[in-house]
Amino acid sequence: MSLMVWIEKQRNLIDFVLSSLLRRKGKNFALIAAYILIVFVLASVMFLTHALKREASIVLRGAPEIIVQKMTAGRHDLIPKTYARQIEKIAGVSSAKTRLWGYYYDPLFKANYTLIVPELFKYEEGGIAVGEGVTRAGVTAEGNIMPFFSSDGKLMNYRIREVLPADSELVSSDLVVMSEADFRGLFGIPEGLVTDLAVSVGNPQEVLTIANKIKQQYPDTRPVIRDEIIRTYDAIFDWRSGILLVIFSGALLAFIIFSWDKASGLSAEERREIGILKATGWETSDVILMKFWEGLAISLTSFLVGLLLAYIHVFFTSATLFEPVLKGWAVLYPSFRIVPFISAYQIAVLFFLTVVPYTTATIIPSWSAATVDPDLVMRT
Amino acid sequence: MIVLDKIRKVFNQGMPNELVAVHGAALDLGSARFIVLKGPSGSGKTTLLSIVGCMTRPTSGRIILDSREISGLPERFLTKIRRETFGFIFQQFNLIRGVTALENVMVPAYPRGEKYSLLRDRAMALLELFNISRKAASRAEWLSGGEAQRVVIARALINNPSIIIADEPTAHLDTGLSHEFMEIMGRLHQEGKMIIIASHDPIVYESGLADMLVGMRDGRIESVRDLA
Amino acid sequence: MILHPAIIALLAGSALVAFMLLYSSWYGIEVIRKWDLRSGSELQLSLEKKTYLISTMMAYAMGFQLISLFLFVYTADSLCSLFTGAMCAAGTLNVNDFGYPVFLLKLVNFLFGGLWLVLNYTDNRAYDYPMIRKKYFFLIALMPLVLAEVFLQARYFFGLEAEIITSCCGSLFSSSDRSAAPGIFALPVRLSTGIFYGWHIFVLGLGVFFYKTGKGAYFFGIASLLLFFISGWALIQFISLYIYELPTHHCPFCMLKQEYGHVGYLYYISALAGCVAGTGVGMLQRFRHIASLEAVIPGIQKRLTIVSVTCYLFFMLAATYAMVFSGFRL
Repeated sequence: MSLMVWIEKQRNLIDFVLSSLLRRKGKNFALIAAYILIVFVLASVMFLTHALKREASIVLRGAPEIIVQKMTAGRHDLIPKTYARQIEKIAGVSSAKTRLWGYYYDPLFKANYTLIVPELFKYEEGGIAVGEGVTRAGVTAEGNIMPFFSSDGKLMNYRIREVLPADSELVSSDLVVMSEADFRGLFGIPEGLVTDLAVSVGNPQEVLTIANKIKQQYPDTRPVIRDEIIRTYDAIFDWRSGILLVIFSGALLAFIIFSWDKASGLSAEERREIGILKATGWETSDVILMKFWEGLAISLTSFLVGLLLAYIHVFFTSATLFEPVLKGWAVLYPSFRIVPFISAYQIAVLFFLTVVPYTTATIIPSWSAATVDPDLVMRT
Repeated sequence: MIVLDKIRKVFNQGMPNELVAVHGAALDLGSARFIVLKGPSGSGKTTLLSIVGCMTRPTSGRIILDSREISGLPERFLTKIRRETFGFIFQQFNLIRGVTALENVMVPAYPRGEKYSLLRDRAMALLELFNISRKAASRAEWLSGGEAQRVVIARALINNPSIIIADEPTAHLDTGLSHEFMEIMGRLHQEGKMIIIASHDPIVYESGLADMLVGMRDGRIESVRDLA
Repeated sequence: MILHPAIIALLAGSALVAFMLLYSSWYGIEVIRKWDLRSGSELQLSLEKKTYLISTMMAYAMGFQLISLFLFVYTADSLCSLFTGAMCAAGTLNVNDFGYPVFLLKLVNFLFGGLWLVLNYTDNRAYDYPMIRKKYFFLIALMPLVLAEVFLQARYFFGLEAEIITSCCGSLFSSSDRSAAPGIFALPVRLSTGIFYGWHIFVLGLGVFFYKTGKGAYFFGIASLLLFFISGWALIQFISLYIYELPTHHCPFCMLKQEYGHVGYLYYISALAGCVAGTGVGMLQRFRHIASLEAVIPGIQKRLTIVSVTCYLFFMLAATYAMVFSGFRL
């Protein structure tokens, strides 16, 4: 059979399949709706976890290789600045910087802010820069005064000098940036103590060795390696989406049984139709081929629509439906938007999880439909 | 040329409801070009017809079509022969509902991979031949009995077969349409097609067109009359 | 065990493929025992109907197998952040003893499955199905390989423990590290480039010769099977260097990544298709003298030759393109 003939044959069959599907809209509607729902749910889970994983890795990309925390009685404690100077002397360490940061619960707006002190703060004392999320939560704007309660209950007023632009929202959304003096004043942290140390290492291969040295020199500290955090994040997000998948596997199974049932429950009309096709000159493999195109048409439609809906759900409505399960960030984000990101890999996994089982479930039913005896139409 | 040798067809073999539809039928159609199979319903006409038309394989026995034995061929090849050699007209019209008359005529040719526009033109020409091209865009279920009848004949001819097989074609037609049908068959016969009709309708077997009349009863061939 | 959506998809997909093969083998045994084309008995008619099911299942199984091969590599690649020392799929596969065997089994099963489909396609063109028993024996013989793949893949994924320290492409495919590299990777690049082009041109020549004269099918079959291995080896030994534009990076997996424009897929698919089609020509030669196939086989062989030659030619041109337009010079 020449290639042109083959192509014409497929075109004729596809033509016929599409008109048949349109003729039986009612029958296929439920199937396609269920199919779209399944793709939508799975795709939402995957898009969301991947996007969060990516957000987390963006956050961590700028993080130092090692963070050194002081531990007291198994709890995270403030660390003396002097540690930094000693750690900087360890061979291979290119710098050890002190960091001041913390969280603040705003009772007025019932929101959590992340407070940090940058190395160089461009505004004078009493001035702060805030993330977009803060302006949303607190209905404040540039130039306004923002009230804070200090650790000893005093009211402190800071003026908002700048609203930070949203690059990756998770980073700056709930941020409040202030000067060192303001920060110490607000929380009552004495001079000489900081939250933790950020250690950067010249050669990435030495990170582990240096972490061990720090631990030896200061047994009361805990060095946290950045790659370790990334790994943990990755594992947690994969694990979460895996768990959700296991939960949804029941639904997936139900869908597969449903599609098996739909495919094998041929109506008398369809049986007659296939009988006519075979009696007038179609061969079993032609009917199987027609069924293949039919399955493909159903799968592609549902898959694309499901993907599109999931995309809108995750990236435009911020995954309203599963936010509580998957995100686990602060409750600050009323209009938290995830930066759109999908890859061919996610599509391939989704394809394997939905189209492949659906297709497999319909092989045997479409074969048995295709092997209807051609003389059936003569006998009835 | 078709020769049947000791054809047997059994349904539900080895089961309590075993049914022998054809008992060792032997038949040489020789040079006959218009054959009528005659017999009461349940006499095995339809089964024999579907075996001759390569639609069913006999349980045992041999069929020779144009000096080639085809009884041992698997379905894949039988279908090919069927498509190229036979055009079928059934007792029921067996048109696909919801599909236009034109497409109903085209459907049997889809697997052959003919260019769609060419196929359309051929189907249209056939509909014109039978004077129903004006109904080409009507759905099958909207056609009257006479129109459906002619669409069915056009469909049987779409793959340009050399043999037309019709099973009780007049069972659902009134007298006028039955005569019209036989007239068309006579025309096709004259154009060189071989015609095989199974029927117990006198309009068919007394039409004077047949050159061979085969009588069947209880799955056996009872009589063969050469009328040529 | 790492609970990852792709792992679940792969395990489920392999189970489906194995199920389809088991089902087919089961009826394969029945076909081998009871097939009698002369008979028109209901048993024979139902066996004939079953052959359609088996053909369909095998075609789907092969399609899934191909997707799962790439999904497997891709998954290994995306998991690499969990393992110290892994930077791409090469490292993740090395985490336990089962990764590479699974990868190789997936390749081998695809090749065998492809040959089976060629055999099936050919047999279905003959009115008496002369190879029906042979092809079902072949199918049953494939069974252990597919089951092994399912089993090892499960062992591999269940044995993945985060934080295992592994070595990655840097040391696994490096020619400087003699302990890890097999001898053939240590050949001088000039020589192996010569072998690569020489053998390619040899195979293309054999293909054209066979197409014109119908002679030398076995040679062409064996030569194109060998070419598959030579291509794989060349890909690791020097083509990779031009793709990555690095003097020491020999990884066969990184090239599948987005950073390199997914160019690896071109190489993988063209080598796999070229090998199946080319080896198929040699395989069919054995059955050329069966009466009902005499008229069928030459046509199929010619078409397979075109496919094989085109694919391998494409592989060679892609490699040449990489070498000419790479910013890297050896």
